[in-house]
Order: sequence, then C-alpha cells, then structure tokens
Amino acid sequence: MGRNKGFIEHSAMDALSFMKDSLLADEYALKKGFLQSLDARVKAATFIFIILQVILARKMVVLLPLYAFSLVLAGISNIRLGFFIKRTWIFMPLFSLFIALPALFSFFTPGDPLVAFGVAGLKLTVTRQGASTVALFVTRVVTCVSYVVLLSITTRHFELLKVLRIFKIPQVFVMTLGISYRYIYLFIGIIENTYLAIKSRVGTRVRYKKGQHIVAWNIGSLWQRSYKLNDDVYKAMLSRGYSGEPVILEEFRIRPRDWLWLFGITVISVLLFILRR
Amino acid sequence: MADIIFELRDVRFSYLGKFPALSGVNIDIKTAEKTTVIGANGSGKSTLLHMLGGLIFPETGVVRAFGEALKESAFDDESFSRNFRRRVGLVFQNPDVQLFCPTVKEDILFGPLQLAMDKSVIEKNLADTVNTLKIGDLLQRSPHQLSVGEKRKVAIASVLLIDPDVLILDEPTAGLDPLTTRNIIDFLIKANASGKTVITATHDLHIVEEISDVVHVFSQDRKIVRSGRPEEILKDSVLLESNNLTHIHAHRHGDRTHMHPHQHLEHH
Repeated sequence: MGRNKGFIEHSAMDALSFMKDSLLADEYALKKGFLQSLDARVKAATFIFIILQVILARKMVVLLPLYAFSLVLAGISNIRLGFFIKRTWIFMPLFSLFIALPALFSFFTPGDPLVAFGVAGLKLTVTRQGASTVALFVTRVVTCVSYVVLLSITTRHFELLKVLRIFKIPQVFVMTLGISYRYIYLFIGIIENTYLAIKSRVGTRVRYKKGQHIVAWNIGSLWQRSYKLNDDVYKAMLSRGYSGEPVILEEFRIRPRDWLWLFGITVISVLLFILRR
Repeated sequence: MADIIFELRDVRFSYLGKFPALSGVNIDIKTAEKTTVIGANGSGKSTLLHMLGGLIFPETGVVRAFGEALKESAFDDESFSRNFRRRVGLVFQNPDVQLFCPTVKEDILFGPLQLAMDKSVIEKNLADTVNTLKIGDLLQRSPHQLSVGEKRKVAIASVLLIDPDVLILDEPTAGLDPLTTRNIIDFLIKANASGKTVITATHDLHIVEEISDVVHVFSQDRKIVRSGRPEEILKDSVLLESNNLTHIHAHRHGDRTHMHPHQHLEHH
C-alpha cells in the first residue's frame, strides 16, 4: 500500500500464502508410497524412537546411516529428493551451522590443526576436533529435521491430530486443534477478500497512517467475525448432540506391513546400538 | 393434538435484550408435514428455526416440542437432551458453521458418535446417506476443499446420519446452481415421503410450492402475518409484495418490454 507498500500488504499476503502452502501440503500424504501406507500411530511412534536415537548418537558412523535411511524412505515414499533436501536443509540446519561455526576454531575447540588462515591480521585455526563437533551437530540437526518433515508430509494432518491421542492428550484439546486448523482457511479467505475489497475501492496508494487504520479495523472486524463463528459452531455442535466431551471415530488399523516396519526398526536399532558401543 | 410436534404460543425473543428477532409468534407444526417459513432477510426465520432446534429459548411465551415444554433447563437432563437431538436435526444456513471437523467423514459421523448410536446403524446410515446424496468421493476430503453445493450436501448428510424425525433446514438452496437446487428439493420431498417432518426457511419462492404443505409468512416486524396452503399464499401478490417477497420484473417479448411482479408461480 502506498510507497511503503507494500510492507503491510506484502507481509500479510506472504504470511497467508505461506500458511496456505504449508497447510495444504497434503499433496505428498495423498500419494501412494511406503510411509503413506503405514498406520499413523505406528509411524509416529517409530519416528519419535528414531529421532531419540539421532539425539543420542555421538558418532558420524551412526548418524550418517540414519540420514541416508531418511533419504531412502523419502525415495520409496514418492517424495522428490530435490524438494525433500530443500525442505530439510533450508533454515534449521543452515541456522544451526551458523550457530556452530565458532566451534570450528581452536579458540573454542582446541586440538589438532586442520587448516589455518588469517582474516584481518587474525590467525584462525580450524581444528580436527572442532570440525568433527560441527559436522556431528549439523548432521544431527538435519537428520532430526528430515524425520520430522518425513512424518509431517507423509501423514495427513487429521491423522497427525489423532496420533496426539496416543500420547494421552485429552480429546477436547485435539478437537480444538482440529477446529482451529479447519477455520484458519476460512479466515485466510476472509482476509484475502478484505484486502481485495479495500484495493478495489481505494486503489494501491494508501498513506501509511491510513494503512495502519485499515489494518487495525481489519483485525477488529476479524475478531468480531471469529467471535460470531465461535458461537455458531458451538450451536452446530450442540444441535448434533455434543455435551462437553467429544466422541470421535477410531479408525486406525495395524496391518502386517506395520508389523514388518516395527520389526525392521527394531533390527536397525539393535545394529545402531552395536555401532554406538 | 397428538399429531402436533411443535406448538409455539406468543413467543418473543431478542438478541442482547435489545434487537428483537421474534415478536409474538404462534405456530403449530404437525407430524410428517412439510412446513415452510418464508420472509425477507432479517425477518426472524433463522431465529425461529434455532428455537425449534432447541438452541435458543423464548424470553416470553411457550414452546412445546413432542408434548413437552422446551426450556433450557430441560436440556440439563441428559436423556431428554439426547432424545431431542436424535429426533430433531438442524441444517444451518452457513455450511461452514456446521462443518468443523478435519474431514467430511468425521463431520458426518460427529452427530451419531456424540449420540452414542449403534455402530452397525451408523455404518448402514452412512452407506445410505452417501449413496442418496452422492458424496462418496468427498469423504476423505477436508471441508475447506469443497464447493458451496458440496458443503451444503455434506451439512445435510451430517444431520441425516442421525436419522431424525424432524428435519429443519435454513435456506438449503441459497447460492446453489439449478441442478444442485433440484437435487436438494428432490431429497426433501423423498425425506418427507418417508415420514419425516420437514421444516424449511427460505425466501426463494421458486421452491416453496414443492416443499410445502403449509407456508408461514414472516413480516418485517418479525411476526407471522399469514399461514396457509402454498398455492393460496403464492397467489396473494399483495401479501408477498408487502413483505418484500416479490419484486417488479422487466423482460422482453419480441420488441416489447413489459414489467410485472416476479412471483414464480408458473413459467413465463
């Protein structure tokens, strides 16, 4: 909007677009693939188990096979490797690399010199122990992120919500999360249309002050709508017999494939345990 | 009197105590009857339906359902509440309000599960409803991915699965294309033929004759000004015009343009 334009509008639109993209990522969960065919409860439990192994691993010889395993799982689950690597390496691992970078040097991690160079008269020495620590840290982060991403993109969001119940999270919280997820779309639509309506009436040049007013008004209006919607949804729940404790359908079914997967993960864990010693 | 399901006497209701929504409504609704409530926007139709659905209660006046007074305190009794919810199903005007679960299937099954219906009955009703409304391919989708017509069908299915004796529908054809409208009308006629009481609120006069045995007309001052057979009500152009239910319609016959009230009694 206006010269500053864009800041508010672009931020709002980009945030909405990001939310839509991330929430609409059911694309991979709907594909036919290995991970998609597993029972969501078994998948979530085993992934948490693998992530724990990754966190406990102190040797690259344990971490690298686990990372390679995540790539294999992505491959057999019909996930494009380019997409998967981009999704898992951007942000978290790069950010952790940035944090861990100082540990490369001898003043944080003393040890055997690997490479030495000077920057602005300052002599920097990368040590073997420092490089190993950083590599271990970043590999651990990227491996954890890979399994989290694999779980989230191969499982439909409503199945993930149901999985929360195996951790004994009260049904009412799970349901509230589900309802929030459901109505985010409605509100994203309302915000987008409101911006379009403003644009169609006032054009693209709005002064900064006016822009602030419009945004504030928008937030107020959205709050009112959500309040009204909340009331209506509650009535709709009551009219179908809701009485405070939701009952929902239990559809999970463990099949032979899930038992095979559990067996495979157990074998891998035993091997990793041997490697770790 | 045994065949009267709902009996309203001098019912008054206002929102926040200052915005009147019903100003002295008297109605009797009979078992297995097709009742339609017509009126302009804001005339009190939705408020009346919510009251019949046991969601709001009169400030003054009396509402009786199935021979018992319908009061808020009555719903504290779980068996009364469960029995009433099983017998009366309400389809809301805005399907987005009604579809709050992550998937269509969960939404459809929400009611029967809350009402502890037998699993085999739920499965049978699900198969029948999916077949009747042709929504089998929507079951695993999220409600936000559906068109308005699909949402409306799913909202109807979510109530139908409970298999209520009374089906209350608030503007069931609003914003729908002609074919989906037709499907919904056919469905309502069939539901009534199978013994269900069908109560519909609409301001779409196209559909009134087919879906009504009795029509109640709401005035702008939120009272029922006339009740009668649909053919009598729809012929009364003065009544319809004075309650914002008809408009002056201009169209061409060859080179000539002429105007008349638009009533949809017959095709022209």
